[in-house]
Amino acid sequence: MADKEAQTVTAGAAATTDNDKIQAMLKYDKIDYQTVELTGEIILPTEPVDKCFAHIKPQLLTDKKLLANLGYPTDGLVDNWKEVFLRKMDEMLKKYKSVRVFMDICVKCGACADKCPYYIGTGDANNMPMARQELMRKVYRRYFTVPGQLFGNWMVKGEELSLELLNMWYTYFYQCSECRRCSVFCPYGIDTAEVTMAAREILNSVGLVQKYLHQIINNAQTMGNNLGMQKNAVINALEFVESDLQEETGIDNIRIPIDEEGAEILFVTPSADFFASPHIESLYGYAKVFHQAGISWTMSTYASEGGNFGLFIHNYEHMKKINKRIWQAAKDLKVKRVVGGECGHMWRILSSYSNTMWGPFDWLDQRYPIPEHICEFTLNLLKRGALKIDKSANDEFIVTMHDSCQIARGMEMGGTEYGQFEIPRAVIRYVCDKFQDMPEDTIRERTFCCGAGQGLLGDDMLPTRVKGAIPRMQAYTAAKQAHGVNFIALICAICKAQLSKMFPTYGYPMEEVGGIHQLVGRAIVLGAKEGV
Amino acid sequence: METMEYSKQKFEIDDGGFLRNLFPWNEHIACVLAEKLGVEELTEGKMDIIKVMRQYYLEFKSFPILGVVCKNLDRSKNCVKEEFVDPLIAWKIAGLPNPGEEVIAYV
Repeated sequence: MADKEAQTVTAGAAATTDNDKIQAMLKYDKIDYQTVELTGEIILPTEPVDKCFAHIKPQLLTDKKLLANLGYPTDGLVDNWKEVFLRKMDEMLKKYKSVRVFMDICVKCGACADKCPYYIGTGDANNMPMARQELMRKVYRRYFTVPGQLFGNWMVKGEELSLELLNMWYTYFYQCSECRRCSVFCPYGIDTAEVTMAAREILNSVGLVQKYLHQIINNAQTMGNNLGMQKNAVINALEFVESDLQEETGIDNIRIPIDEEGAEILFVTPSADFFASPHIESLYGYAKVFHQAGISWTMSTYASEGGNFGLFIHNYEHMKKINKRIWQAAKDLKVKRVVGGECGHMWRILSSYSNTMWGPFDWLDQRYPIPEHICEFTLNLLKRGALKIDKSANDEFIVTMHDSCQIARGMEMGGTEYGQFEIPRAVIRYVCDKFQDMPEDTIRERTFCCGAGQGLLGDDMLPTRVKGAIPRMQAYTAAKQAHGVNFIALICAICKAQLSKMFPTYGYPMEEVGGIHQLVGRAIVLGAKEGV
Repeated sequence: METMEYSKQKFEIDDGGFLRNLFPWNEHIACVLAEKLGVEELTEGKMDIIKVMRQYYLEFKSFPILGVVCKNLDRSKNCVKEEFVDPLIAWKIAGLPNPGEEVIAYV
């Protein structure tokens, strides 16, 4: 009897730990999603569209081996989580001075409020960028400013750490795709994505690790690609693409070279390009361009991934480790140039961060950009007439272009001002007769996120994805109504996956989504001798 | 987690609907799984796809490009989607483990 009582007490006690409580709060529930009517107009919500968004919790990573690999707690919320939380936040504020500045300088002018695709889609006030950041700012004011430390919350409108606050953090920092559209409109230039990144890493440190994003970081670090494909599977996939390409074109020597030492170019691209549809169509396009240009190139099984999810959380070490594989492969294969395929954040990391992490790249050919974007590479060939193009192959399409956030609001492309907007569009115009942009406030630096960037592409995030895609879907509809657009060209693997799922969800065929090099691949005349 | 039984062989299905262990698995168990997943009849065409997927997994420990599966069977490029709509259904019937979040997102 006494034993039984003791057991009951223990069980009761176990059910009331902070970890048990937060696990119950963050329990993943499959939530139904609703689409909206596509009118071509982006309408600002006046009230929450539906009330479910406070309940959307992406799945937590529970695989202990994976968590240990990544250096995060393995048993959920750690006992002394408040201490760990504040220590990590302190580290973030010291390590990334920008985050501290962003905590201090917001004047809550509201310029960002209606710019977020998730706010427009959900109408949930917590998705206004300044409200999302306020989740961190109130902790900052309470614990990291002198008035907050001396006089507490009432003085600084701060908030004590609590499980409810953790719940809010986990919910809303995973309804932000770090697309940085709000930052474009911020008069102080606050990079809100950095705040989200820091918040996610603080959550990781206390043991609340989102599954989709971190499983992929682990795959990329251990297997070399996000999909977790073994070397022999990568080879099998690329060999299949090569034989398919040879069959389709009737050309025996068109190739997808793998691990070929001494090739001129190392080509890195997201693993989705040799796995998913429509991504794979662009891979055919790249191979045709390299073939026709007569330049030797190779892909690498060691760096079989262009993407790098390490960027999505403020953990430089993850990003660095994944990025290293690319430069290591370039060194090992003794190539002279590195060219990147169609991937948004890959391009931002390669062009903006790589040099700081693993540069200088003085061992590569200095006459070419380091790294070079495939659009830049193809455009140069097109400009000097080295590729024969038959535009009529794309006659059935009236094309528009979706600027992917990480490229549009990254640094640059081609060393020219606004190259990231002009170069991809120039490639499209070379291979298609009919091109029409979507409305001005939905493209270029003001582009809308596809709705699934930076760790939100998991199936568990479908309700968020469906709502986050609304502005893009409306903008596409506007271009369809005005110009009869029937193809959206992209240079990002995540955007391709998201839109090819959202298009059928909203009633458009998924075939209307594809890569720019899919269009190039269709129009290029192989075997032509001009120019080369 | 759910435990099922076919002719005295017990097998476990995880919360995502994937078989927890590669074995036991045979065509009969595939039929049980198919029924559970709402696939009415495992025709020969469907069973061929399932077998190729399983064979592929045993060799490469990865989810195959769907084109590879169809090429192996000498069928049209979209054969998996034509037969199952969602390729993950075929994967689950083939008794293979959760292929990971990224595969699920892209497939």
